[in-house]
Amino acid sequence: MRVFAPVSGKVVAMEDVPDPVFAQAIVGPGLAIEPDADATKALAPVSGRIAKIHPHAVVIEAEAKGVLAHLGLNTVELNGQGFTLHAADNEDVQAGQIIIEWDPQAVREGGRSAIVPVVAMQAKAEDVHGLVAPGEHVNAGQALLEWD
Amino acid sequence: MSKAETILEGLGGFDNIVEIEPCITRLRVQVNDAALVDDAKLKSAGIFGLMKSGTAVQVVVGPEADNIADDIEDLR
Repeated sequence: MRVFAPVSGKVVAMEDVPDPVFAQAIVGPGLAIEPDADATKALAPVSGRIAKIHPHAVVIEAEAKGVLAHLGLNTVELNGQGFTLHAADNEDVQAGQIIIEWDPQAVREGGRSAIVPVVAMQAKAEDVHGLVAPGEHVNAGQALLEWD
Repeated sequence: MSKAETILEGLGGFDNIVEIEPCITRLRVQVNDAALVDDAKLKSAGIFGLMKSGTAVQVVVGPEADNIADDIEDLR
């Protein structure tokens, strides 16, 4: 299964995400994206059903797999402020569809990281292949991961 | 004992919990006394991981975090 970048920005290795749960791949492997300042539209990384959406994060189920995109770190503390949802729980979405609007620059100015971990939930590390190298720039909607 | 009951007990029960906030894959918990948190008990609930920093405890439970938080509230 192909997983697409939810936002444009610089690709970062998961182990370099400044959050131990993501960095240690406790919920799964993947890649993170340090979003461009104008990456205000977060796209569905896969086509599937929304298992759970929060203002700052979404899990989409597809082919019995779960893909998590988390917009920034500790952004749950913002209680949804600055985030606009364009999808709801249990809704079917297409990869590339806008599901959340937010302002990564405002998140940074609020003293939080705006990094977006994209996680292949509970996947084996060897089944998940990065298609963009850390340090490179990725555009929203561009292929990011291949999950066997 | 259900997963929610085990986690609740591992956190030292409701008396020790200031707040539980589910966030997609983890329960972000503020406790009164970190010494009352029983790591072994929490791990016996089949959790993915545990992060502790003072009285802030994060119990990584996977995608069912919201449901587990609801189940814990239901025990109140």
